[in-house]
Amino acid sequence: MAQNTKPTSILDSLGEEIIRIIAPVSICMFMVVILVSVLDSSSSSSTSASVTSIATIAYSETNSDSSWDKFVGALLNSLVFVAVVTAVTFILVLLFYLRCTKFLKLYMGFSAFVVLGFMGGEIALFLIEDFSIPVDCITFVVALFNFAVVGVLAVFMSKMAILVTQAYLVVIGMLVAYWFTQLPEWTTWLLLVAMALYDLAAVLLPVGPLRLLVELAISRDEDIPALVYEARPVTHNDSGAVGRVAQRRVWRGRSGENSDHGSNNNPNANSVFVENVDSGSNSTSNASVVPDSSTESNTLVSGHNDATLVRAEEGWVPERDAELSAPLIDPRMNIQPQQSELEGIGLGSSGAIKLGLGDFIFYSVLVGRAAMYDFMTVYACYLAIIAGLGITLALLALYQKALPALPVSIALGVLFYVLTRFLLEVFVVECSLNLLMF
Amino acid sequence: MTLAAGIGYALLALGPSLSLFVSVISKKPFLILTVLSSTLLWLSSLIVLSGVWRGFLPLKSTSRWPYGLLIFTSIAFQEGLRVLFWKVYKRLEDLLDDFADRVSKPRLYQTDKMEIALAGGLGHGVAHAVFFCLSLLTPAFGPATFFVDRCSQLPFFLVSAIIALAFVTIHTFSMVIAFNGYAEGNKVDQVFVPVVHLVAGMVGVASSVYLSFISLQA
Repeated sequence: MAQNTKPTSILDSLGEEIIRIIAPVSICMFMVVILVSVLDSSSSSSTSASVTSIATIAYSETNSDSSWDKFVGALLNSLVFVAVVTAVTFILVLLFYLRCTKFLKLYMGFSAFVVLGFMGGEIALFLIEDFSIPVDCITFVVALFNFAVVGVLAVFMSKMAILVTQAYLVVIGMLVAYWFTQLPEWTTWLLLVAMALYDLAAVLLPVGPLRLLVELAISRDEDIPALVYEARPVTHNDSGAVGRVAQRRVWRGRSGENSDHGSNNNPNANSVFVENVDSGSNSTSNASVVPDSSTESNTLVSGHNDATLVRAEEGWVPERDAELSAPLIDPRMNIQPQQSELEGIGLGSSGAIKLGLGDFIFYSVLVGRAAMYDFMTVYACYLAIIAGLGITLALLALYQKALPALPVSIALGVLFYVLTRFLLEVFVVECSLNLLMF
Repeated sequence: MTLAAGIGYALLALGPSLSLFVSVISKKPFLILTVLSSTLLWLSSLIVLSGVWRGFLPLKSTSRWPYGLLIFTSIAFQEGLRVLFWKVYKRLEDLLDDFADRVSKPRLYQTDKMEIALAGGLGHGVAHAVFFCLSLLTPAFGPATFFVDRCSQLPFFLVSAIIALAFVTIHTFSMVIAFNGYAEGNKVDQVFVPVVHLVAGMVGVASSVYLSFISLQA
């Protein structure tokens, strides 16, 4: 076939890293939309019996308040929430600074267990109730327990197949996002905006906790103990300009490789920080709250570090390349230009793009909340969020340092939601019902 | 009417584009990104049009001229946007060619360029199908169906799905024809695309005029 003799075009592989991040984000959003539409259509009137949590501690929205009251109340709620998240993140930075990594990892595993076991269990119970699935208690408990334990192992230890780890991270994001969508409407929207602003401040300001955390981690050459989704890196045999060698991103925390990574005593800590605060035992629907304080993972870290770290990593690259490229990468790039021979093996092995789980969660919350209105807003917000993510990734490639992933996407998402809800829907419905399409 | 019917309508509108996506687009990540950005662009065009026309809606006049004007302006705006899309694409093509030279790979082939145009057109078609058909399909998953006055023999969802299918086809391949026409300076192709778009849109208006005429007679 002529295809084999023709050299492969750049179009075959360009943009693959971006797709590897967009795909799980899309899957998470899609699952949250499905959950919201399936579970909400059944429990239509119980929205007023809303979740009592730390995010509604200042004000509980009822249907009878005026718009201004709702706005002010929601503003207070979100300020309280952001304050709590800031405090917790600073505590996290302090603990990281004091090298209490064992405690952090244990807490991380515990939180993952709670999210998967209890929240996942409650959602599973809702689903069983809705669809009348015949399953008995003992089977359910055993299955749930196993599910939760495997999930804890997947995020806690690094020796799992990477697909399992990624799947569990997406599931955790989905569960937390679903619980956030149960908050009252105004509170949710203002909370999203507040978190986007907080993210912007925390990552970019010199005194921001997330920036301190990232700098500490870089200076110590350790992984941040947080729930971070890491896309599988793309291995090219021949890509990259000459300058890429020194800038080759550090390949961190790959499952299975950490055992030979002697210098890193933080075995791919993908810890979650879910703050469980019991805010009122008399609330029937949800006693535990989840202000996801894995906000330190709201950064988009390119994995690029300075040259010293690269040198430390260089020796390990050949094994990794072989390990990774054999099962995964389609060996289509058979061209070996001179550059790769000069620089040796491992040229262009790019690091993975990391996206904090908090970003997954807040994107899905936005889309889930849009789903509670109508599907048109869902599509519009989805496109807006993906566009925002693309812009953030482009900025990441430009600035090569940790960037907040929330602000651009949330801004675009909220903008498109408002525009779609108030402008586009009327227009499209009017045109469609008159069968006037263009 | 049920879950099956709802899925059926969705597949009717988007089935061919789904198979096109799976077989051609999903193999190359860049094309997926092109589809997404194209969809975003046409969504923005719809939002701008709705912003402009929002003040005049709902159109309550009995004559059909306002609708004709609405369709005409919308199509004119979208065709103008297509030219803009072409200009952006030209710049992107230059960037890609430079990148290909840097990594010492061949420049974009003709098939690559047509694939990018196809992906752009697919984005346009998907945007139309999603916003004019899919987003209104939510009631179709329930137990009942809905008929509009304009076409009372078929359920509304079926009509919109079929029209969306037609428009997906038109948009997807118009982009390929248009880009080819702009690249080669072929006037016939360049004019063909907006004319087809206009005719397809105006048929909707014309049929309503016809129906109102018929009902006047009866």
